[in-house]
Amino acid sequence: MQTNTINQEKKNKERTKKNKLGKKRKEQFQLILTYIILTAWVVVVLIPVIFVILTAFKTDQEISLINFRWLPKSFTNIEAFRQAMQMGNWSRYFANSLFVTTIVVGGSLLFNSIGGFAFARLKFKGRDILFVMILTGLMISPQSVIIPQYMIMRMVPLVGGNNILGQGGTGLLDTYWSLIVPFMAGSFGVFLCKQFYSTFPRSLDDAAKIDGCGPIKTYVYIYVPLSKTILATLTIFKTVATWNDFFYPLIFTTSEKMKTVQLGLQMFKGSAATHYNWLMAATLISVIPTIIVYIFAQKYFVQGVVSSGMKN
Amino acid sequence: MKTKKKKNLEKQNIGYLLVAPSFLIYLLFIMIPVVWSVAMSFTDYNLVEANFVGFKNYINLFQDDLFVKGFMNTLRYSAMTIVPTMALGLGLAMLLNKKLKGKGLYRTWFYLPNIFSMVAISMAWIYLYDTRAGILNMALRKFGIGPVQWVSSPGMAMISIAIMSIWIGVGYNMVLNLAGLQSIPEYLYEAASIDGAHGWQKFIYITIPMLAPTTFFIFVMACIRSFQVFGQVLIVTNGGPVNSTTTLAHQIYLNGFEYYKMGYASSQAVVLLVVILTITLVNMRYGKGGETDAN
Repeated sequence: MQTNTINQEKKNKERTKKNKLGKKRKEQFQLILTYIILTAWVVVVLIPVIFVILTAFKTDQEISLINFRWLPKSFTNIEAFRQAMQMGNWSRYFANSLFVTTIVVGGSLLFNSIGGFAFARLKFKGRDILFVMILTGLMISPQSVIIPQYMIMRMVPLVGGNNILGQGGTGLLDTYWSLIVPFMAGSFGVFLCKQFYSTFPRSLDDAAKIDGCGPIKTYVYIYVPLSKTILATLTIFKTVATWNDFFYPLIFTTSEKMKTVQLGLQMFKGSAATHYNWLMAATLISVIPTIIVYIFAQKYFVQGVVSSGMKN
Repeated sequence: MKTKKKKNLEKQNIGYLLVAPSFLIYLLFIMIPVVWSVAMSFTDYNLVEANFVGFKNYINLFQDDLFVKGFMNTLRYSAMTIVPTMALGLGLAMLLNKKLKGKGLYRTWFYLPNIFSMVAISMAWIYLYDTRAGILNMALRKFGIGPVQWVSSPGMAMISIAIMSIWIGVGYNMVLNLAGLQSIPEYLYEAASIDGAHGWQKFIYITIPMLAPTTFFIFVMACIRSFQVFGQVLIVTNGGPVNSTTTLAHQIYLNGFEYYKMGYASSQAVVLLVVILTITLVNMRYGKGGETDAN
């Protein structure tokens, strides 16, 4: 009986060994295939990016078809950058984009987090209804409300040449206000913060109360220091969204002095065909801020996409 | 008793104060505009005067070849982008869900296109698509094909826009799928292995059903996003050639801000609103699993 089982075990061992060897080879093959496929998509993603970089360092002659080479003659040739930045008031565009992005991000961090805190932790009449109302904002796409938003900006009384009824002028259109105020808070940010604060234990509030903290003190001294992840995620989302926004500046601004980087970039299109090197140089410069943010916050970013996307 | 009541009241007021900024911005820039949009869609408002015209705008919509074309193009765009983006996103996520070296690096690279602005991406692709100098045609020339009129022929233009969008969207879907895959408990696969299931069977009987809520969510988001497609259309083709790439959002923009037919554009905006609301409501009705699964 015992010898029998030992024999059986031996046999089994041999069989699994054989299987293991075959399996190992198969697994190795699969792993290599996996790497090949993944790398192939990296190449697909990278080719346009690399091409933008390479082109930006080329001269006009180098981008012409006859002399085409993949690599630029020198990576120190910044002529295209110089020329591109001279087409239009780029320091102004950058200053505008930086200013608007900074204020929008700062404001939205504050407003979204206090809103989220109140919705998650305080009790007041109509709280849930207000929250559900704000949530419906997630369903509204910008294009379906852009016309009234434009009208509202245009009809703010007593500014931009408007009379007290909001008639006659352009209101807040073509001012920083129009690029900042509507984006200082949003359904998505409030929702994200509320979800985050809801996971905190009740005892935290009780402890704060015993120590004599009111809601505001509790928020400032307890909740804010614990909010690093959510605030980082929000910062990244909002920075990328605001810096990259094209739709609202296109519609809300008209003058040269209010142009943002994205609008400046778009202006190149006309002259593109002859100077792709200029266009690519400008494109490259325009993405530097988001690249920097992405590098520093890559971890939070993907986490943020994961949590926000799934809980949307 | 009295002090308690007073304290409660105080707390309430602070709550209102804290949600006030968010709520006011929501009210002013979402809620009122929605109502206003609907109201304006019954007028012929042109930034100067407004007359009530009843359902005239809506009746005109369906006789407006451009609107119908824009709507059909939007559907075509959805059909061309949603399935490839979802399939590639899922495929790459499945591969990345194994034990691999450099996993984080792959994930970072895949997501990269999502941090670029639509303008920057469009500029890059305008160059890639250039009939003479673009690398796509240069590569094709090596094989004796082309030149392909990527964005300048009515037959190809929408396909070219779709390719760009797929390039962007795959990384986003990949990240969401990865999160979904990671939430599937390992023991399900172990149990299946014990029962003798192999790779393909595990995929069919475990991965697909467990991932269904994620997939549904991604599908809904993809529908919503494709109904809003605008930036790449405006920049790369501006709706052309011969209106082969004009979309719903592009038509709203043109009518509203190029021709100042605000009333008419509003009726198109309401159509967009209804479509997206329907998609979202279907999601809420049937997609409940998405929330519970993620938490």
